[in-house]
Amino acid sequence: MGIFDALVGRRSVKGPASRERLFALSTAYVTLETEQNITSAGIAGIVFQPLATSDFTATVKDMEEVVKATAGEMGATVESKDDSYGFRWLIVRDQSSVEDLVVSINGVSTALEDGGYGERLLCAVFAFKDSAGAQIDFIYNYKRGSWYPFVPAGGAQQRSTERELQLKAQIGGELPIEPELERWFPLWGIPF
Amino acid sequence: MLLTMFLLGLVYVVLIGALIASGAGGVTIAIVAVALFGFQLFASDKLAMATLGARTVTPQEAPELHAIVERLCIQADLPKPRVAIMDHNMPNAFATGRSQKSATICATTGLLRMLEPAELEGVIGHELTHVINRDVMVMTIASFFAMVSAVIIRFGFWFGLFGGMGGGRGGRGGRDEEEAVIVIILVSVIVYAISFVLLRALSRYREFAADRGSAILTGRPSALASALIKISGAIERIPSNDLRSAEGMSAFFIVPARAKKSMMNIFADHPPLDQRLAALARLEAQLQGTAK
Repeated sequence: MGIFDALVGRRSVKGPASRERLFALSTAYVTLETEQNITSAGIAGIVFQPLATSDFTATVKDMEEVVKATAGEMGATVESKDDSYGFRWLIVRDQSSVEDLVVSINGVSTALEDGGYGERLLCAVFAFKDSAGAQIDFIYNYKRGSWYPFVPAGGAQQRSTERELQLKAQIGGELPIEPELERWFPLWGIPF
Repeated sequence: MLLTMFLLGLVYVVLIGALIASGAGGVTIAIVAVALFGFQLFASDKLAMATLGARTVTPQEAPELHAIVERLCIQADLPKPRVAIMDHNMPNAFATGRSQKSATICATTGLLRMLEPAELEGVIGHELTHVINRDVMVMTIASFFAMVSAVIIRFGFWFGLFGGMGGGRGGRGGRDEEEAVIVIILVSVIVYAISFVLLRALSRYREFAADRGSAILTGRPSALASALIKISGAIERIPSNDLRSAEGMSAFFIVPARAKKSMMNIFADHPPLDQRLAALARLEAQLQGTAK
């Protein structure tokens, strides 16, 4: 934001970063599986802010139809859910491969961007499990085009920062990890 | 807006010119003013938080408030500010901190009780926009000059009193000095009066900007409008002796903590509710694609 914008207080919401950064996961997960024994849970979700306008509703409806059709061909299921904060989730379940999950999620964000609503995209979440069965989420921040691990610990609003920092060291070479730790925003109540 | 800022700058140029011309008490005034400015910039947020009895809360203590702030921060591409809660029945919220990294967002318990999640999101979006727009910094710098003149007024009165006493006793008090002091006082008073009005105009403008920013950030202008209606309705019903303690912070509150509406529009630091609602209605019409 420029000095002039700061002075007059005018700004717009930032749109999504380059798509290639999302696709970094489709190669990085191989390292996770082979070296760290962290496997995909076969679920991914994308969260965005729904607008209560007819144009947006139509864009989302068309997008859902396309994503459901293409996901169906790959043997995946798509589900739409609203969370308690008023955000919309599209949840893709696909046990076969992480690549297909990434493609499905990218289909959602591309459709919203093409409809002119790219700035409403928040995050994509890919669920993984470690060898002990503990949940590990990799969150992709659309605004910044960066990834960060999110490991919920037992108890309300508790996260295992130690495990997250370990994961950063393990996968940081292959995933563009968010450098500023204060932007590793947790997502509580992920509906899957 | 630009005209307002231009006029504000003009006033300070005139002030500095007048100060240089008179050349009285320059060094002392400068040191005091700079020290006060530094204090205002670096400590006023902590002071304000302490006076108002606000305390920062962890995600465990206020999970919903934290979650709303976090999601809006992702949307706004902003580092997460500290989140504080003030134990007060008056529904209100404010943002402090000189930079985006040192910012604190504070909501009262009354606000959390009164608003629906979408409305609370609108209010938090408004406060986050203050952080994004660096409004605390802008208002501090803008009010710095008004403060300088206020300091000079005090110095001026003090020196004036001194000069008058000396003149009465010794009978050789410099008439030129006295006149210079009177000129400084007069100039300072005029500068202060003008900058006061302009500062209020600047503050009102930035409130509109924060409403607009919140509407863009959340995509729900009408939720913020609904929150403003609820908040202002409740503020007018609450007794005024509670409000007095919060009066000094009103520039940063989402709705000013003031019981009476008798203040003239030009002196108000927040725009009137109906103008804010009209601006939000225009944004909603733009969003719905029905704007004319």
